[in-house]
Amino acid sequence: MTTLMRTAASLPRHNVKDSFLKDTTMTAANLLTPGADREQIVEGDNPLGLEGIEFIEYATAKPQALGQVLETMGFKPVARHRSREVLLYRQGGINVIVNAHVKGSPLSDKPLISAVALRVRDAAAAYRRALERGAWGVPTHVEVMELNIPAIHGVGTSRIYFVDRHKQFSIYDVDFTPIPGVDQHPPATAGLHFFGIVQYIGNDRSDDWTEFYRELLGFQPLPPEQRFGILPKGRILRSPCPAESRFYIQLIEPEASVLDVEDDEGLHRIGLGSADVLATVAELSRRGVEFVSSPSVRTSERGALSRTWLGCVSFEIVHDVRG
Amino acid sequence: MNSANMNDFSMDSRAMAGPLAARLEAVREAGFSEITLCAKDLVNHPGGVDAAVANVQASGLAVTAFQADCDFEGQSGPLHRFKLDLAQAMLRLCQALQCPLLVLPSSRLAPAADTGSKLVRGLRQLAMLAIPLNIRIAYQGWAGGAAVQTYLQAWDLVCETDMPNLGLSLDSHEVLAADTPQDDLLADLEMLDTDRLFLVQLTDLLAPAVTPGQPMRVLPGDGTHREALAALVISLHGLGYRGSYNLAAFNEDYAAMPPHHVAQRASASALWLGQDVLQRSVPLPNQIRLRRLMTV
Repeated sequence: MTTLMRTAASLPRHNVKDSFLKDTTMTAANLLTPGADREQIVEGDNPLGLEGIEFIEYATAKPQALGQVLETMGFKPVARHRSREVLLYRQGGINVIVNAHVKGSPLSDKPLISAVALRVRDAAAAYRRALERGAWGVPTHVEVMELNIPAIHGVGTSRIYFVDRHKQFSIYDVDFTPIPGVDQHPPATAGLHFFGIVQYIGNDRSDDWTEFYRELLGFQPLPPEQRFGILPKGRILRSPCPAESRFYIQLIEPEASVLDVEDDEGLHRIGLGSADVLATVAELSRRGVEFVSSPSVRTSERGALSRTWLGCVSFEIVHDVRG
Repeated sequence: MNSANMNDFSMDSRAMAGPLAARLEAVREAGFSEITLCAKDLVNHPGGVDAAVANVQASGLAVTAFQADCDFEGQSGPLHRFKLDLAQAMLRLCQALQCPLLVLPSSRLAPAADTGSKLVRGLRQLAMLAIPLNIRIAYQGWAGGAAVQTYLQAWDLVCETDMPNLGLSLDSHEVLAADTPQDDLLADLEMLDTDRLFLVQLTDLLAPAVTPGQPMRVLPGDGTHREALAALVISLHGLGYRGSYNLAAFNEDYAAMPPHHVAQRASASALWLGQDVLQRSVPLPNQIRLRRLMTV
């Protein structure tokens, strides 16, 4: 949150008759709950009941090329969408959707992280709460026999979906058809799990996006000295999820020397957690994954960064003991 | 003409009559690189909004601010939903213009009960809507507002709302009309955080005017408050304000003139402010503007 500025209440020249706010103790913090005008009801740390990431979606005009990248990273294609050119890849608890369904403007050859689906307690309630606080709703275009998954606009052209059917049954059971003969739950390579997402933002935009994720989803910024992995730049926001499903969003502004920022806000890469980074890197290297090794970025016990595929796809491995 | 001295002065489209293309051309030819627009500039264009946006982009002028008179904050129920839809449309227009700042004058509508919280809630919602679009909101108190009529009240509300992309628009009309003694004015201005002062709208005043009690808004230097206006600009500069100045002078007389004539007068005002008042002789260092682009 930004620091509350000096208000006239503390200054002598501001007449009381001018201050229509004097008769209320309302602040932004206690306006967040219905009924806050009658009594102090503070929402918990996790107002949406956030429980991690259900899936991350890429949009690309070259789904097979991205599919190869994902398979090199240990993902398996497990299901196809019933009505669209969409494939579901999975390893362990990590679901990645590759969407080549053209709608509106043509897709780019370069894959783009186009959506993040969050597991919440009640998707409809989460959606309503977000809209009340200033999120943009995304109109959905549901075909017959498909789920209506509420979504809000995120950074760039991306969306944030709210999914609540992740315990009793899966959303994929409705919208996807399993690929015959394929293990629907392939194990994760070396225990990989979702760790976070790196978001590139414009100059001086850290406070804006921190407030966006705090107000709408309950994220909290970590102190600057708390860092993960080998790429510590920017500001890290911690999700309010329980420890077993916790994930992070890392906000990164341009280098100070970059003067002209052109349309460059967006979700940049996925971070995957590993209890043993070096073992994971060794296993992925055997599969053909190359990792960046430069004076400033190199594999260590703290983390590693894959080389970039298809012009923009990379994965960061971060040391993280889960469960 | 040393246009480097005019870099952070924008011409308000409302000061000129005529089609948008003619006004853009007049502003450009008068040496400005920035303009401030409002929704009517776009929706009244004979070719529609897309054509209007294309005109603006082709002009090479950056849009400093977009004036959104939508009486947004303080409502509830169906009226709030209606106003929310309107505000969203304004934000979309602002985004289409690649304009980084939306100016929201305080609402003329009497707020629903529970005034303070409704106003804060509304402004928080609007500022949040603007974040993914990379737009900042400049809230402006004015005499016609129902609950917020002064910049100090507006500043209180900005502080109470506490959103990083919400700040203040200060209109010199209020300062000049109030005729506050300089020391008291400086004390008031010192209450503001100039980092959160997103826009200063400059107008001089000329009385008597057609409307009793409403002095005519004229370009800086054209009115009777020349010294007070210069003192205001110097005070703001001294307090650290480095944002844009919008020449927000509009009246029936300017509306009866060719746009080139008004724009040239505005250019003279900007040069007076830049050279004589702020005493700029060369382009200032660190004046490269970082473009803010909209992404949703």
